[in-house]
Formats: sequence, C-alpha cells, structure tokens
Amino acid sequence: MDDVITKSKDVTLLEVLDRVLDKGVIISGDIVISIADVDLIYLGLKVMLSSVETMEQLRGAPIEGPMQEPS
Amino acid sequence: MSARANLADQNNLSEVQMLIYLYCLTNKVPELSRPVIEMKAGSRPLLDGMAGKEVKNLVDRPYFVEHQGLYAVASKVKENEFSEANLKKNLTDFEWIRAKASIHEKVIEGVMKNACVIPFKLGTIFNTEDNLRAMLDGHAQAFKQNFRKLEGKEEWGLKVYCDLEKLKSAIGQEEAKILKMVKEIDSASCGKAYLLKKKKEQLLKDTLTNRINEYGQKSFEILKALSLEARINKLLPKEVTERHDEMILNSAFLVDKDKVTNLIQAVDRLKAKYNDKGINFDFTGPWPPYNFCSLSKEKAQSG
Repeated sequence: MDDVITKSKDVTLLEVLDRVLDKGVIISGDIVISIADVDLIYLGLKVMLSSVETMEQLRGAPIEGPMQEPS
Repeated sequence: MSARANLADQNNLSEVQMLIYLYCLTNKVPELSRPVIEMKAGSRPLLDGMAGKEVKNLVDRPYFVEHQGLYAVASKVKENEFSEANLKKNLTDFEWIRAKASIHEKVIEGVMKNACVIPFKLGTIFNTEDNLRAMLDGHAQAFKQNFRKLEGKEEWGLKVYCDLEKLKSAIGQEEAKILKMVKEIDSASCGKAYLLKKKKEQLLKDTLTNRINEYGQKSFEILKALSLEARINKLLPKEVTERHDEMILNSAFLVDKDKVTNLIQAVDRLKAKYNDKGINFDFTGPWPPYNFCSLSKEKAQSG
C-alpha cells in the first residue's frame, strides 16, 4: 500500500494542512514566525481562527467529550 | 541597489539574496530526482521546490546538506517571499499557504519513497547552510533517536465523523426509554406532551453525547492497541472540514509497516459496525511521521 488512501483532493488538502501547519519537528530557524500563532486557515471560508473559543462559537453548542486534545 | 545588480539578469540568482527552506531530514542520501534513464531532453527532475515558477533552473531544486550522518533536504527560496516580514504577510493569504503546503508535502513524500524521513513544520528557514548545520548539530542525538524509532514504521491517521441527525434517528429507534417516551407523548394531553417532548429531547441529547464519546473512544482504543504509538489531536470544526457531519475524533498512529493491514481491517470492521449509526471514518496513510517526531515527547501515548 504505497499511496495515500484518500477520497478526494479536498480530503487530502485538509489532511496536509492538519499536519504541515503545526506538526513535524518544530524548531526556530533564522526566520522566526509561528504558524500556530497565525492560526488555522479555514478552507473556502478563509476565516482566521484565533482560539478554540472562536471555534466553539462558530460551531454552536460544543460537543463535549474525552476526545479533545488536552490543551 | 548596485549598478551590477541593476544589470544582472533577473534569473541571475547569485545576485539575489536566497534563504534556505528546510523540508525534512533523512538518515541516508535522499533521492531527489528521476533516474537519468527516464529523463527526456528538456524534462525536469521529479521534485520541484518551494520557490515556485518564478525561480528557474537549478536553484529551485531540492538538494541536501549532510551533517553527522543526517541529511537535510532543502531548497533555496527568495527573500521577497520568505523573509520574516514577507512570510508574515503571505501567511494571511490562504491560496499562498495552500500552494506552499502542497509543495512541502510533495517534496517530503517524494523523499519518503526511498528513505525514512523526519518532516519539519512548514516554514523552517535559515539564512545560511552553516546555520542549518548548527541546528543539526544542536539536535543530532534527538534526531538520531527519532530515526531509530521511525525506521520501518508509518504514520496513519484516523478522523472519525458523526452525522448527528442519523445517529439521533438510530438512537430513537434503539433506546427503549425513548421509544417508551414517544408512546407516552402520543397519548398525552397537549401540556403534558409538551413537557414530555422536552424531556425526550434532553434524553436524546445526553444519549447522543454518550454515544459519540463511546464510539470515538472505542475507535481510538482499538487502533491504539494495534499500534506502537498513538496521538489525539484537536477536533476540526465543520467550517474547516467543509463536511455535513461533525468531527468526533482526530487521531494518528505510528505502525510497523507490516502491521498496517491489521489497522485497515480494524477500520473496515468499525465501518461495518457503525456506518448505519451515522459514524463515518477517514483512515489515511502512509504519511510522513509529522505526529511522531517531536523533539519533546510528552504528547504521544505508547500503544
């Protein structure tokens, strides 16, 4: 199974952004910017998120559960 | 700007300040181009780098810098795009991010075909190769430790979604309590029916939450048991996923290459069991191990 199993190009883009923007080795190069500070970009809507709080507001009532990453 | 620079060809890049963009590390010489035998006249090597179409010829090609048995895959990029000020500006441009993220991933996946990789986050940039080497030097032991862990392994990702209406409907048909309440509502007087309906809605909502937690938890635990390491990540809202269903689990797994089929089969079983209840599974891979090469390891869970 050599290829990435995906449903569509859009699924791939979501998966790529979910990885390259704030995962992988994170060290300061000579150019110091924090993409995590720049926040996750919405696909399509192009809305900048500033916090989990904003996410919750946009989503409506939050679904609570143990499956959230501890902050 | 000096007279010399004014006269210089736009593509004479020795006059242009270039920065070094880092994609990933490998622990052996990386293969960065198509074998010569496949190349036709005028064709370009397999991997195009981060600078994009503006930068021609050799400069935009990924190359590697070796240091202490570590190979850093990098390419030259322009200051007018990647200096701190310009980068900050470009990072507000979604189309720019989309394009660069794709290139970043393509290069790493290309390298990953023939070597174990440690991927870097998007945007790790150095002024000079000496600085890049200094960074490698400073973390050499940690990188080598990561390679020992990662060799022969793959990252696979599981995102689980829930179609709330579908699950609600399934619950309504399955839960005896709720079926009983529906009967009571049917035969109740107007006022009582209203109150019972409210009660039913609350019960439905609570059951929904419990079921979502249960399904998410179960899915994660099943795959974690088949993996070397597992990680839970932030949920992404609908505005990001652009789906009709709600993400209930975002997870990644580090797996022995020859054990991957176990996980694929486990996901197939989960699909068979839970699709009818509105639970959808996206299991993708192999990915470069973005989730399992942190220099500090406190977020990973051992399986």
